Amino acid sequence: MGAKAAENGAKSSSSAPSPPPLKAFFRLKTKQQELLIRVASLALIYVLAFAVRLFSVLRYESMIHEFDPYFNYRTTLFLTRNGFYEFWNWFDSESWYPLGRIIGGTLYPGLMVTAALIYRLLRFLTFAVHIREVCVLTAPFFASNTTIVAYFFGKEIWDSGAGLVAAALIAICPGYISRSVAGSYDNEGVAIFALLFTFYLFVKAVNTGSLAWALASAFGYFYMVSAWGGYVFIINLIPLYVLVLLVTGRYSMRLYVAYNCMYILGMLLAMQIRFVGFQHVQSGEHMAAMGVFFLLQVFYFLDWVKYMLNDKQLFQSFLRITLTFAISVGALALGIGTASGYISPWTGRFYSLLDPTYAKDHIPIIASVSEHQPTAWSSFMFDFHILLFLFPAGLYFCFKRLSDATIFIVMYGLTSMYFAGVMVRLILVAAPAVCLISAIAISATVKNLTSLIRTKGKAPLAVSGKGSSSLKASAKASADQSLPFQHNCAIALLVGAFYLLSRYAIHCTWVTSEAYSSPSIVLAARGAHGGRVIFDDYREAYYWLRQNTPADAKVMSWWDYGYQITAMGNRTVIVDNNTWNNTHIATVGRAMSSYEPEAYEIMQSLDVDYVLVVFGGLTGYSSDDINKFLWMVRIGGGVFPVIKEPDYLVNGEYRVDKGAAPKMLNCLMYKLAYYRFGEMTTEYGKPTGYDRARGVEIGNKDIKLEYLEEAFTTSNWIIRIYKVKPPKNRW
Amino acid sequence: METPRRRVAEEMAISIQIAAVLLLLMTGGAAGRSADDLVEELKSLRSQSPSGVIHLDDRLVSRFLTSVGTPRPYSLLIFFDANQLRSKAELRLPHLHSEFSLLSASFAAHHKDDASTSRIFFCDVEFEESQQSFDLFGVSSVPHVRLVPASTRSLRNSIPMDQSEFSRGAESMAEFLESKAKISLGGAILRPPRVSLRQVLFLLAAILISAPFLIRRILDGDTLIHDQRLWMSLALFVYFFGVSGTMHNIIHNMPMVLPDRSNPDRLIFFYQGSGMQLGAEGFAIGFLYMVVGLVLAFVAHLFVRFRSISAQRGFMLVGMLLAYWAVSKVIYLDNWKTGYSIHSFRPKSWW
Repeated sequence: MGAKAAENGAKSSSSAPSPPPLKAFFRLKTKQQELLIRVASLALIYVLAFAVRLFSVLRYESMIHEFDPYFNYRTTLFLTRNGFYEFWNWFDSESWYPLGRIIGGTLYPGLMVTAALIYRLLRFLTFAVHIREVCVLTAPFFASNTTIVAYFFGKEIWDSGAGLVAAALIAICPGYISRSVAGSYDNEGVAIFALLFTFYLFVKAVNTGSLAWALASAFGYFYMVSAWGGYVFIINLIPLYVLVLLVTGRYSMRLYVAYNCMYILGMLLAMQIRFVGFQHVQSGEHMAAMGVFFLLQVFYFLDWVKYMLNDKQLFQSFLRITLTFAISVGALALGIGTASGYISPWTGRFYSLLDPTYAKDHIPIIASVSEHQPTAWSSFMFDFHILLFLFPAGLYFCFKRLSDATIFIVMYGLTSMYFAGVMVRLILVAAPAVCLISAIAISATVKNLTSLIRTKGKAPLAVSGKGSSSLKASAKASADQSLPFQHNCAIALLVGAFYLLSRYAIHCTWVTSEAYSSPSIVLAARGAHGGRVIFDDYREAYYWLRQNTPADAKVMSWWDYGYQITAMGNRTVIVDNNTWNNTHIATVGRAMSSYEPEAYEIMQSLDVDYVLVVFGGLTGYSSDDINKFLWMVRIGGGVFPVIKEPDYLVNGEYRVDKGAAPKMLNCLMYKLAYYRFGEMTTEYGKPTGYDRARGVEIGNKDIKLEYLEEAFTTSNWIIRIYKVKPPKNRW
Repeated sequence: METPRRRVAEEMAISIQIAAVLLLLMTGGAAGRSADDLVEELKSLRSQSPSGVIHLDDRLVSRFLTSVGTPRPYSLLIFFDANQLRSKAELRLPHLHSEFSLLSASFAAHHKDDASTSRIFFCDVEFEESQQSFDLFGVSSVPHVRLVPASTRSLRNSIPMDQSEFSRGAESMAEFLESKAKISLGGAILRPPRVSLRQVLFLLAAILISAPFLIRRILDGDTLIHDQRLWMSLALFVYFFGVSGTMHNIIHNMPMVLPDRSNPDRLIFFYQGSGMQLGAEGFAIGFLYMVVGLVLAFVAHLFVRFRSISAQRGFMLVGMLLAYWAVSKVIYLDNWKTGYSIHSFRPKSWW
């Protein structure tokens, strides 16, 4: 009922008629006033969530950020130009040369389709926008929608107060902002909305037992599957939740209806996404959901038999036989399925979540990505701030008022918290849960405190009627009659709480502005006099490629830059950020870590015309190719054993100065990065060839290139492009 | 920089002379024994140890290495161990030694009856009982692994294994062996399974048998898992586990504390720099997080049940102070660690 009222209120407030006269305003009933305040704050939160994410546009400009978003942008552009069917059947020959990539079948189309639809809608409404602006603002728009979902979710699991607080918290939570600022046009931007929405609808379905909500949650799941690979989290968390409910004796008809409808329909819908295909029935990651589905049928069946059989003794023995039989059949089926190869084993990414040391030992391509690193406590603090302190309190409150919904949020919070500890990027998934649970803590505490303040002088009966259902309010109220300082104490606590919350707001704004709004394709630094210096070398280099190289030129670089080169430079690349072919990446890694003649052979076999390296020695930019080089060696060595990591290290240490390993000083990457750098004075009082990113004087200043020649170096030397010379005339 | 290096060079020169003299003295005695006898002796020594690692002391070192003329019919891979340092966690001596034994056992398993079993032997030397041998090899620090190829005359010229090469376990030791001694392991390292097949079968049977009984109790709703407190403490534990960065410590094998380089008596508990953390540091912070949250929960749910007003008030005050202290501590530490100084944005006219 409250939800409906809020929706109506939202409609009426958005049209915003002329404000009623003051007197009439005060004549509103208490309930109406409350509704007005609630809707107004939600609207403000909605705007706030959008506005805070515009820092990146203010500080830089309206552009696409980072690496993956460039691919998404390129595909969206293709989608709007050529239509959906062309997009679905697109074979991209510009990446992964000479293999190419089937785009339609290897991506999650949700994001691109969403942006294209918004674009169409705006065009239809005669707003003349460029598709890039739509892409830039998609993530903030969905973040705003997430706050609304968070409100309803909070309302579902606790009360509308908790919902409001949750919406406010998630609007500015840095853990979420980090991936949804304007310009970060990535799958996660819409996926977190879809994730929370699916969860909300499912919890609603479990609470009401209504088929309509379950159907809605299946469609929410479908949207999530179409948007992000993280849907695996949903398809494992929901069965786990159902299992916990079963185990703790909370099985109900509502649960049965909700799960069955959501699972079956969600599965059928998800199969429509080509990239996912039949994985729901074939891959080991999805088997838990299927197992729980069958278990639920067994439960229902047992319930039915219990109803039919009146004899308790008979039922017990029946129960024993059925369960043993069902479990052994299930185990057998799983065993046979896995052994015969019908059910595929877990993928590396999934496995590395369960056994975190796995990726480090076995899959360097996963371990090499910085966002896949495990999380240190300071990152948690940075991304959640005071929410971390409130989280245990919220957990405690949830346990004190256990219901199907609070069990869900507790499980969501804990599993995502564990995963966030394993990989930094998964803090994003944990953010909504942390906000919701902390909101419960805040809301419950503040409610108690304010009711304490209000009851001063009033009869205690009024308090319990105030709607605070928990024990403590009445307990406190009964105690406070003899307490002269209770009132002051409560005010002091309330002030403390508001102080903490304001610190949270300050922290979030600051973090968003300083840390999370950088597009990382344009770099900013503080100059010697405190002014901002902008390095726009990436775009300089990509536009150079676009203007000065033949249209069919092939560019070799480390995979990080593949998407950007194809999207902005419009040239063919050997490898890119879609790391689907490890051997191909390892070949590039091998070329980079070999001596020039061997590297030349590899480059010839790949038809490479240009080599692009990123170098930060002049500017002090530390995430350049020299710092990534060990990963190239590792990944290359994983496929080609001729590349050995110890050859590039000295006593286990990675160095580029005079004491560096000889192989290091003469490999292709070193030569390309430091070519003619030895003649350069970078810092006053330091010798020539002083590398500012690593703080050493380089070891090989006299670099001669035999098979390549320098083609272009950007103004701050961040990107260096070399042309591969044609083969020598043999006559 | 210059002097120590020169001193080392001098020492080396002297010791090479000594070794040469020793060799000259001993070759006379050793010439009588045939090479096959030595190999047989080594083999019998090897069969005495379950993993095939031969324990050498000063006497055996001189018998098999210094007093035998080159080329010897075998190479030795020697692990230098020190009992007194085994308790130092950062050296990981017990772990490395067990990896070394694994290498030896795997080698024996892959080469049951072929000729290469008599080409290489795996040995270990203990510092306290064989200090002379340590001098002979010029080994001054452990962990240390050396390969003595068949043709090496002076023990100091034997090939040391790099820190990076043995720190990655038996696999990298095998790589070293293959690249330096040209002896291939002939297969993968055979690690013993964590749970043996019999245990697995037993567990499986136990689960299958007990399942119906357990499920019946679950349906009745009376087990440990229906206890809310258990779930709650588990939940809090998972939270603690997550936020204290335990995963980070497990994956990166971080130690609890680091010794201070400039002052060895002091320990470093907190590491400055945002991407990294030490074990104790994470736990301390996780504990602080927990304290505040739990204080809040207790204030709301437990303290109000106390009868005595002054006790309530006292606990309330303590709780407030505790929470204030913990929050300010964490924020201070976070600012110190990440180097960010957070400030609010205000209009310019306010200044």
